[in-house]
Amino acid sequence: MSRELLSCGSREGDSLRKLLGHKKGQFVIIAVLMIAIMIISIGALMNRAGTYYKQEPWEEYLTLMGSIELGSRRLIELSLANYTNAVSPDSNILKANLQKWQINLTRIYPGYGIALNYTLANQVYSVYGTSIGYSLGLNYTWQKPSSLSAANASFNVDINSVGLEGYKFTSTAFLNLIILNATTSSNEIVVAVKGDGGIPVTGLGKDNFQVVGFSISKVTSSYDQTYLIVYKIKCSGTLTLPVTVKVWDTRGIQVTARYP
Amino acid sequence: MTMKKHNKGQIRVIETILASFVMMVALSFANVFVTTPTSPKYEATELQKVGYNVLHDLDEQGLLARFVYKGEWDNLRSALRVTLPSDVYFNATVYDFYNRKLDDATVFYGDSQIFSTSKNIASVTYGLVGLSIKISGAYQAIYEPRIVILRLTRG
Repeated sequence: MSRELLSCGSREGDSLRKLLGHKKGQFVIIAVLMIAIMIISIGALMNRAGTYYKQEPWEEYLTLMGSIELGSRRLIELSLANYTNAVSPDSNILKANLQKWQINLTRIYPGYGIALNYTLANQVYSVYGTSIGYSLGLNYTWQKPSSLSAANASFNVDINSVGLEGYKFTSTAFLNLIILNATTSSNEIVVAVKGDGGIPVTGLGKDNFQVVGFSISKVTSSYDQTYLIVYKIKCSGTLTLPVTVKVWDTRGIQVTARYP
Repeated sequence: MTMKKHNKGQIRVIETILASFVMMVALSFANVFVTTPTSPKYEATELQKVGYNVLHDLDEQGLLARFVYKGEWDNLRSALRVTLPSDVYFNATVYDFYNRKLDDATVFYGDSQIFSTSKNIASVTYGLVGLSIKISGAYQAIYEPRIVILRLTRG
């Protein structure tokens, strides 16, 4: 009985081994199928990535945003230049220009669904260590030894055609003229000029300055430990105090300072 | 019996052939749809980027507005020629806000036929707000938008 059982068991064992031996190839087929599925999936994914990139020109939207941002900054500077040079300054000039820019943008860049919203600075801000009280985004504080002109507005841009919403940025324009010293014996006025970011303005010459009541014979610049660059304005004639100096930077923004 | 034993390995050969076939099909499928960044299909987009960057850089330096509002077309042409790659041909036109082309405001470089024959032409639109200009000792800063349309293609 036990022999029969043993022989029966050994026969079953042989057939099981054979069966297992025959099933070996099936695992290879399953593995190949899995690899095939993976490859096809990767192919489909690459296809989707390729077509997605083609359909959505993100670079174009970024460059468009850059263009709008730079245009808005230029408008702020232009409005401040207008405000500081006008015989009777229009305090609404920045608001009026921004309203036009808001409408005109949709014509300059048609088909994008651009929506530009702005907020003009209307309170006291600390700018590079100086408190500036803006009204309708503009301020000029003149007739002081340290005088300035400034503009400030915040923007929010949406590009509705691609569902891009809430791109925010702030544009400012700033010019500061500081009369450091005026010497009547040598007819010389020493001034420092700071622009956006409190950075010294370079490259100013005779045409950029005006001394009220006196003609300028020469303007030279030199290094200064505190202001980095200072301008020495040499006047012709005998200089008398108080003295009023005007400056215009390359953007056409004006500042008038008085010393002492 | 001997035949059966000899036939055993053939299934592996068939499996390998099938696997190779599936892999080749998958790779061919991927290759048809994938477009590499260097493909000519992206040429127009690349030129657009180059064109925009050139205009943006010129505007950032305050040169573009000066060239456009003061009518310095030769300077604009020189600036574009210097900043764009030498094999890129361009055609820049300036319009006022009412889509009127400004007199003589076409700056051109390259073969005149190329813009009508080339398949890959990129077009860049750039808006300018105005320029503060000194006229007889006084600055005038008036909002007066202008549109620069720069068309680019490779020669």
